[in-house]
Amino acid sequence: MASLARFYDGETALVHDVSVRTTANELVIFRLADAGILARWPIGELAMLGDIQHEVTPPIVRKGSEARLVVDDPELRRQLASLVPQLAPLAGTRTPPARRIAAFGATFAALVGLFWLAVDYGTEYAAPLLPYSLQVKLGESVFDELTADKAECHGEGGVKALNDLANRLAKAADYPHEIAVHVMEGGPVNAFTLPGGILVFYFDLIDQAKDGAQVAGVMAHEIGHVVHYHPMKGLVRQYGIELLVKLVSGGYSDLLSTLASGGNVLLALRNGRAFERDADATGVALLEKLEIRADGIASFFEQMMAKEPKDSAAVAGIWSSHPPTAERIDATRRPSSGKPPFSDAEWKAVRNVCR
Amino acid sequence: MTNTTSLWGQAAAPSKPAAAMAAATTEPDLTPSRPLYDGKLGELYVIYLRHLMLMLLTLGWSRFWGRTRIRRYLWNHFAILGDRFEYRGRGIELMVGFVLALLLIAGWGGLMYLVWIYVFHERPFASFGLFDIFTLSVALIGFPLAYVGHYAGLRYRLSRTRWRGIRCGLAGSAWRYGAAATFLTFANAITFQLLTPVVSVNLARPRITNTRFGSLPFIFAGGAGDIYGRYIGYYFLNIIAWLVAAGIFFTAIGGAVGSLGISFTEEEFQKLFTRPSLRTILLVAALAIGLYVVFSLLILPLRCWWQAYLFRYLVSHSRAGNVLFATAISTRQMWGFLVLNYLIVVLTLGLGWPWVMHRTLRLIAAELWLYGAPDGASIRQPTDLGPRYGEGLLDMFDVSGV
Repeated sequence: MASLARFYDGETALVHDVSVRTTANELVIFRLADAGILARWPIGELAMLGDIQHEVTPPIVRKGSEARLVVDDPELRRQLASLVPQLAPLAGTRTPPARRIAAFGATFAALVGLFWLAVDYGTEYAAPLLPYSLQVKLGESVFDELTADKAECHGEGGVKALNDLANRLAKAADYPHEIAVHVMEGGPVNAFTLPGGILVFYFDLIDQAKDGAQVAGVMAHEIGHVVHYHPMKGLVRQYGIELLVKLVSGGYSDLLSTLASGGNVLLALRNGRAFERDADATGVALLEKLEIRADGIASFFEQMMAKEPKDSAAVAGIWSSHPPTAERIDATRRPSSGKPPFSDAEWKAVRNVCR
Repeated sequence: MTNTTSLWGQAAAPSKPAAAMAAATTEPDLTPSRPLYDGKLGELYVIYLRHLMLMLLTLGWSRFWGRTRIRRYLWNHFAILGDRFEYRGRGIELMVGFVLALLLIAGWGGLMYLVWIYVFHERPFASFGLFDIFTLSVALIGFPLAYVGHYAGLRYRLSRTRWRGIRCGLAGSAWRYGAAATFLTFANAITFQLLTPVVSVNLARPRITNTRFGSLPFIFAGGAGDIYGRYIGYYFLNIIAWLVAAGIFFTAIGGAVGSLGISFTEEEFQKLFTRPSLRTILLVAALAIGLYVVFSLLILPLRCWWQAYLFRYLVSHSRAGNVLFATAISTRQMWGFLVLNYLIVVLTLGLGWPWVMHRTLRLIAAELWLYGAPDGASIRQPTDLGPRYGEGLLDMFDVSGV
């Protein structure tokens, strides 16, 4: 037979089978076996621990005491609930879970979708709003990290010519901040952009460029990244998706984060390819706006392709951070008409920036 | 004398001669019983989905309260000798613990910044930056701190757990446990895992013997020597199983590729991975399943066999006063606990967590046997209230389940 109620005295681990009576202002707890009174609790000091949704039988306590009264009998619970206002929730019953699971589940799924959209599209608008000084600080610290073991070139006229062109291009895109171009010694044949308008050229790229138009093409492409705040957007998006995965797993499992980081990398690469296409298009548009010859991007890619006929970006497919080079050449091909990007003296200085 | 006849008491009816003997002599009362778990998966999911929803809305800050609610549900649906457990932790305690751990890490970061400024600023190693120092040092301190956090987290949970109105607790130093665990794990790694029984027993002992129910300490009477024989057997069987599994797998792949007459040029091979068609994806999935089947047929049962043995040993060498514990958990059940639960979590992308917790408590309720009942009158409420905040380090450095 089920007991009516149990009383734990809070001092020892004894269990008493009890029942209760209420007087005008007291709850009297007495042993079932011999009607011995175990406790008299003033009604005003009664409280219930927990609730009926989480606890099967929420314990009744007297405030400040460690003793507990657990009422097993539903009828006795109902009586207490009707007599003592604080204990009213004791009479409640659990609602069947199906409808609440559906409601919470649907809300959860909708929130995941919203969060995803917010991260995927919201960064488009939110990233540029980050305080610019913060972006610069971030960019500078990454620059220090990446270039710690390389020497920077300071050939005066060259650095100035590159910075002038970069800032003209940025201004043409109504970009409100100063661009800083750094040239590092050696290779690879590459250039990249960091948050805060920091452009880094490796000298091998300048060295292998056929003419100023090619360097200007690469420069315009990088400015395309800058004016679209691509570095910042990439970062924000990556952290956003990571956070989403953490939240969806209930904050319980690192295992899932590991699993999801694979997907996250693919996503970042997909974003990367979209960024590159954007930067190519913007770069060409900026050169044309300044009436500078805009054939540099395509001709530079063609030169690269001639050297290394196997298109590594096309080969890498979904694992590539850049679109296939042939596709980029087709998209950026322009006539060689227009003003030269550098004067002869400037181009000479650029060629000698590391010497 | 406590004598509760209740709905949940699952005492086996004592046979008549045994009852007569117990009356005649002063033998201990060893009436067997099992815990009872009567939680419902649907109700658990209501609590869990609500928790996930709030997690998204609060960007994760509600997790302390969500965890607390889940524990309250699980604890109170678990009963021993007819008396339900009670979890009385509070979300704010977990949050304060988390913030304190966060401050600790921030302090450490500051310290590393000073080290970097004053020691490494001249850049003896060209590419060694502040970030590297911080990551490296956190990895170094994080390993022992995870153990410390484990122990401290256990202490917190026990101190918030009540049974028959009496608080549980965990004595002993979390730092000493962390140091011992770090040392033992390191020693085990450099001896090719041959110290595993020593590690298992010596890490279980402090956790068991420091556990208190009120004033009643738990007792552990095991030693690594008892289980070494079985471990050595497992150790070498494991090596053989790895070799066999690898052999089977590569023969199978070689055979399949050979018999189908498939051969790839380099280009086709690259295309296969970079432009995966549906067929390739299915093929890769089939291969992964094949690998999993071979692996799980040979390696994992062996591991579960050892884990089940170790678990049976640890449980049956523990007691609390005159309550003895025993379990007959089988290799198959251990597989369900270790492997199946893992798969459930991964394949459901985390949504299977409540199911895993539910399964685990059902397993405990089915396989844990208690002999006897505690002497209620002699067990007192502890004066110590336990730690004020909980689980910060655990949250920071380790995956913490419920």
